Amino acid sequence: MDSSAELRPCLGYPAPQQRQLENGCPVTLLPLADASVACLQFWCQAGSLREQTGQAGVAHFLEHMVFKGSEGLPAGAFDHRVEAVGGQSNAATGFDDVHYHVLLPPEGLPLALELLPRLVLKPQLQSQDFQLERQVVLEELAQSEDQPEEVAFQHLLALGCGSHAYGRPILGTREDLQRMTPAAMAAFQRTNYCADRCAVAVGGSFEPEAVLQQLELGPVGELPSAMVSPFQPRGLAVQPGRHQLRLPRLESARLLMLWSAPPAASQQQLSGLDLLTTVLAEGRSSRLVRRLREELQLVESIDLELHPLEDGSLVVLEAVCEASQLDAVIHEVEELLVQAAAGVSPAELERSRRLLDHGHRFSLEAIGPVTQLLGQSTLTGRMQGFDAPLQRLASWNCDALQPLAKALDPSLACVLEVRPL
Amino acid sequence: MSPTIHWLENSFGDIHAARLVLPHGSAMDPADAAGLHQLLAGSLTRGCGALKAAAFAERIETLGGSLRSDTNDDRLVLALKCVSSDAAQLLPLLLDMIEQPHLESEQVRLEQDLNLQSLQRMQEDPFAVAHEQLRLLLYGTGSYGHDPIGRREDLAAMDPDAVRQAATALSCNAAKLVVSGPLNEDLREQVLKRMSLWQQCGGDRPTLTSPPNDRWSGIDVDTEQTVLMLGFRTLPINAPQALALRLLQVHLGVGMSSRLFQSLRETHGLVYDVGAELALRELDSPFIWHLSTSADQAVAALDALLREWDEVLQKPLSQSCLELACAKLRGQEALGRQTGAQRAERTALCLSLGLPMDYHQQAMKMIERITADEVQAAARQWLRRPVLSACGPSSSLKALEAHWSQALMDQPSAAVAR
Repeated sequence: MDSSAELRPCLGYPAPQQRQLENGCPVTLLPLADASVACLQFWCQAGSLREQTGQAGVAHFLEHMVFKGSEGLPAGAFDHRVEAVGGQSNAATGFDDVHYHVLLPPEGLPLALELLPRLVLKPQLQSQDFQLERQVVLEELAQSEDQPEEVAFQHLLALGCGSHAYGRPILGTREDLQRMTPAAMAAFQRTNYCADRCAVAVGGSFEPEAVLQQLELGPVGELPSAMVSPFQPRGLAVQPGRHQLRLPRLESARLLMLWSAPPAASQQQLSGLDLLTTVLAEGRSSRLVRRLREELQLVESIDLELHPLEDGSLVVLEAVCEASQLDAVIHEVEELLVQAAAGVSPAELERSRRLLDHGHRFSLEAIGPVTQLLGQSTLTGRMQGFDAPLQRLASWNCDALQPLAKALDPSLACVLEVRPL
Repeated sequence: MSPTIHWLENSFGDIHAARLVLPHGSAMDPADAAGLHQLLAGSLTRGCGALKAAAFAERIETLGGSLRSDTNDDRLVLALKCVSSDAAQLLPLLLDMIEQPHLESEQVRLEQDLNLQSLQRMQEDPFAVAHEQLRLLLYGTGSYGHDPIGRREDLAAMDPDAVRQAATALSCNAAKLVVSGPLNEDLREQVLKRMSLWQQCGGDRPTLTSPPNDRWSGIDVDTEQTVLMLGFRTLPINAPQALALRLLQVHLGVGMSSRLFQSLRETHGLVYDVGAELALRELDSPFIWHLSTSADQAVAALDALLREWDEVLQKPLSQSCLELACAKLRGQEALGRQTGAQRAERTALCLSLGLPMDYHQQAMKMIERITADEVQAAARQWLRRPVLSACGPSSSLKALEAHWSQALMDQPSAAVAR
């Protein structure tokens, strides 16, 4: 059952094999001759974006609960068995998706293929474990709330994204977490963990057919196809505005700005925005860093990051400075952003292209990140050659880039000035 | 002794990574100048040779390379990563930074100001605050007693002349350069020739002062959680018992199967974040058990930590726990050498600390022969004098301090461990 697109070998890797299980679950395999490490990634479109009202935090809480025991796998058994062969495992919940991975010596891969699907897809969600793990999640929330920087960032998202899921903390809210039940979590699990909303990627030294067969015969192969209608995106639109916040235990002031950007599927556009944010704020030669940090010495740091997201991407600016400098920082940042609309120079574009191009090459050096990239591309249905991002970067010229800068106009941003209490 | 270069050719993807390691870590900071070497390291990136600060940054960035210069407690490390076709242009810059740094006052002042602001921002993080105090409890105000970034008063008073003075010692015969990537014979020769002129001796190695008498620190902050750090001052990396202690740390703190994770999080639900770190160093390494928990549970969490402490002193690890720890350490070793940069860094640090180049591979053989009794003996030798650093609301600190003094008075474990 091959649905293989024309992927070529490139950047030192063979072409990834795109396959599909009987139930439609996509699997991408990257067999490598003498890999010293193997990686198994399981991805699912069950991020916080899929949470209903009153369920804030269920996606992340479920990610915790799977480690508390599954059919035939008592709590702790997974960790013990994986770590006993020298492996490491972890999981992460995002706005759009959740993923679980195991990284281990090559001979451990069959074990990972046996255990990870069972762990993730057959959780027991027992009441007593549920109560106990809720305490752990509440501690995680408390820990994050003790970091003023985190609090400020959540505040920005809430102001800018309003009632959209991206405006809620992935960790959830105390109220919703306190009210949550194992039954509601099980319902969330059933709805979202379906064959066509999941993806598997495997990298390392292995025999492809054996891996496929093991997946087919296990819980991934048993996944039902989606039972509910496909997810309807709402489309994120950041609400422009200016806001102020005072926080206790804040030592340095922050300027935070948030903009909308095209959704993750608009890869060409996002590639251009990547170039633009790099021109503006990556490295000491970038415009914002050079002006605000090196020349005027107004900030300790200034960052501008693009976060690709399925329902509309976000661009976030963060400047850290003395409270007394905040007004001057805002003035300079706004001026430089307005100037950017006039375009960038060929030298600036080339510097940014190289930084991003090489950053991508560096990220392909280890099997973990490579398999992660494959897992995510498989889930989103945007599988492509390893060099595709490089080609997109190379396709831009200064004229083409110029209109994109309007997206970062200060008037479109949700601005939050954060000062110490 | 003379500077050495090693070229690790077994690499992937036309990437070069390099680590130049010098014996000038923050442990070498003078008594009243905590932060001097980190300031020096940062200032090295602000112009050298023919390139002024802005031109230097531009040279690296236009080639899409990455360059860092930092200190840890023991060493100053320059780190470079680039695509192979740029290596011949960028690798010599590392040597320029050491041989001809500009260290113009204006640039050093800028770096100094940035470090002062970072220090200030670190105070927002309760973990950083607790860790800062823990260093003082373990090492006092001397070497290892402060974060490499320094102490506010010292850093604020620092003069660029002191940085320039410290820089003159860098071109020393103890320098170690490790490059990972396809071998470029000409480049290797060129670098070797230049480094062979680095003939200064690395200077006297730092010594540590005896630990202060205080065993407790509590910093009052208005947070939901309280951070607890139980710390022990232990052995140097080349000590005979270092691997036994490493196994104990892996048993206690590495992975979700680890003892502290299983006990405090999985069984009791007291914490989200818990772990044990043993950063093996040239001199007495810190062994730190840390967690954060809601303020009203802080005493219960301390109790749980103390029970674990008592346990490792009283009982040898079971055979299955010992085997699990060995497996995890082997796994860490294998998974931690995937990129050229990782391999270069490990190799360079080993060489710099006087360990064999294949120290890690040798260690994997040696752990096979370590017994549970030896691990227990290491625990009894090195874990007999704990100190406690806490950061959280005042109510939790009062209860913790009372509980802690009681525990030290009883100290059943230490009595056994005498």
